[in-house]
Amino acid sequence: MTGRRQPRPSSGAEPDLFALADPVIEPPRGASEPIVSIAGEYPGESARSAVAVSVLTQTARDVIEGAFIPLWVRGEISDFKSHRNGHWYFCLRDSTAQIRCVVWKRDQRGIPAPPDDGMQVAAYGRLTVYAARGEMQYTVTRLEAEGDGLRRKALEITRARLEADGLLAPERKRPLPRFPRVIAVVTSPDGAALHDIISVVRRRGADVRLVVVPAAVQGQTAPEELCFAMDQVNRWGGADLVIVGRGGGAREDLWAFNDERVARAVAACHAPTISAVGHEIDISICDLVADLRAATPTAAAEAATASRAELAAELRKLSLRMHGAVRAGVRERADALRHLGRDLAGAAGAHVAGRRGALQGVATRLHALSPVATLARGYAVARDADGATLSSVAAFRPNMAFDLVVRDGVVPAIVQPSPNGDVA
Amino acid sequence: MSDTPAFEDRLARLEEIAGELEAEGIDLAHALALFEEGIENLRAAADELSRAEARVQRLVERADGTFDVVDPRE
Repeated sequence: MTGRRQPRPSSGAEPDLFALADPVIEPPRGASEPIVSIAGEYPGESARSAVAVSVLTQTARDVIEGAFIPLWVRGEISDFKSHRNGHWYFCLRDSTAQIRCVVWKRDQRGIPAPPDDGMQVAAYGRLTVYAARGEMQYTVTRLEAEGDGLRRKALEITRARLEADGLLAPERKRPLPRFPRVIAVVTSPDGAALHDIISVVRRRGADVRLVVVPAAVQGQTAPEELCFAMDQVNRWGGADLVIVGRGGGAREDLWAFNDERVARAVAACHAPTISAVGHEIDISICDLVADLRAATPTAAAEAATASRAELAAELRKLSLRMHGAVRAGVRERADALRHLGRDLAGAAGAHVAGRRGALQGVATRLHALSPVATLARGYAVARDADGATLSSVAAFRPNMAFDLVVRDGVVPAIVQPSPNGDVA
Repeated sequence: MSDTPAFEDRLARLEEIAGELEAEGIDLAHALALFEEGIENLRAAADELSRAEARVQRLVERADGTFDVVDPRE
């Protein structure tokens, strides 16, 4: 064997089998023996130059990995296992063939949810050789299920977890402030959503500050950026309302708003939140945890702010109520006064009339008794100088002056001398 | 931000005043005082409304973790 165990020259006219890799210079992992090289033979040509198993599998691996570019492969999932080490293992099969697949833990972030057995999927990955078992293995980095099955599954899982934590409970919903002064808007600084929100707020003449907290709303970094922005809003603490969202887009573009971390960040917000993910049909996970779900950013801005016209109308209404109430109050009092006055006058009048009646009665009676009335009927009264009534012949003496009171005056009179010198 | 009551406080006070004025048997002198206060509030609120203006700014976090709200560079 001496002399046969020489390293294969790193260059030269060796067979092409080693052109893809150079096992001598870089001994294969786990290879216990170096390549046995025999002059005039390529490794493995005879029993004497047999290569180690690890050399075979490593070589196969190098060939296969070099020959295939990453591909999408479709098939049905079976034997899915999520291993303790965090990696996923399953078979992808069709009616006649199957291949073992693995999704490394680090690659799972781009896959909405672990697949279920029986799911029809398309898997994107690279074909490789698992040397320890001498098996071909498909290393999958992206996975999509028919009918968006994985996303739906992911939504259900996330939803169930949030629900278990009580984050979807209706009693968690906080009322929005009617007149927010500072609204934080967590969205892309150059997206349509921000533009829509600003124009609505301006149009409504709302007295408000919009503070933009920028975050990517789609792409790989979107969930982290949205979480970070929500965290900034919390640490800042200056907003009394938060709108988080984006304009409409393809379903994949909206996916960040279904991310559990984003949902939890929204739920943890110190201020009431409005989610505005611009798609009317589907409801995102963010919509479920926000205090209010708006179908679009425009609707969110309308829900967030009162319009100047509405407020002016409200002020007018209040003004009318106040004026009305005061006028009614004054009128009521004026009426009361009038009534009182009328009552008083009435009472006084009745009193006077009563007196007047009584007076009349007395007057009539007085009148009836009055000597004047007697005089009026043609009688006369004789009175002496002292005014005493002379009612008998005995009261008269001849030549005596007296007054005769008649109906319309007094007549001076003298008693005639008696023919026989005496009063009769 | 300022000592003047916020718009919503004015509105709430106005609601209160209107309600009190509409109540039965309110004392006339009190009603007139309320009315005057109401008119004052109405005028101030309408003023505020006509001055209302939306501002758009941006939240910026400094290295020390404090925050600035800045006007957009335009």
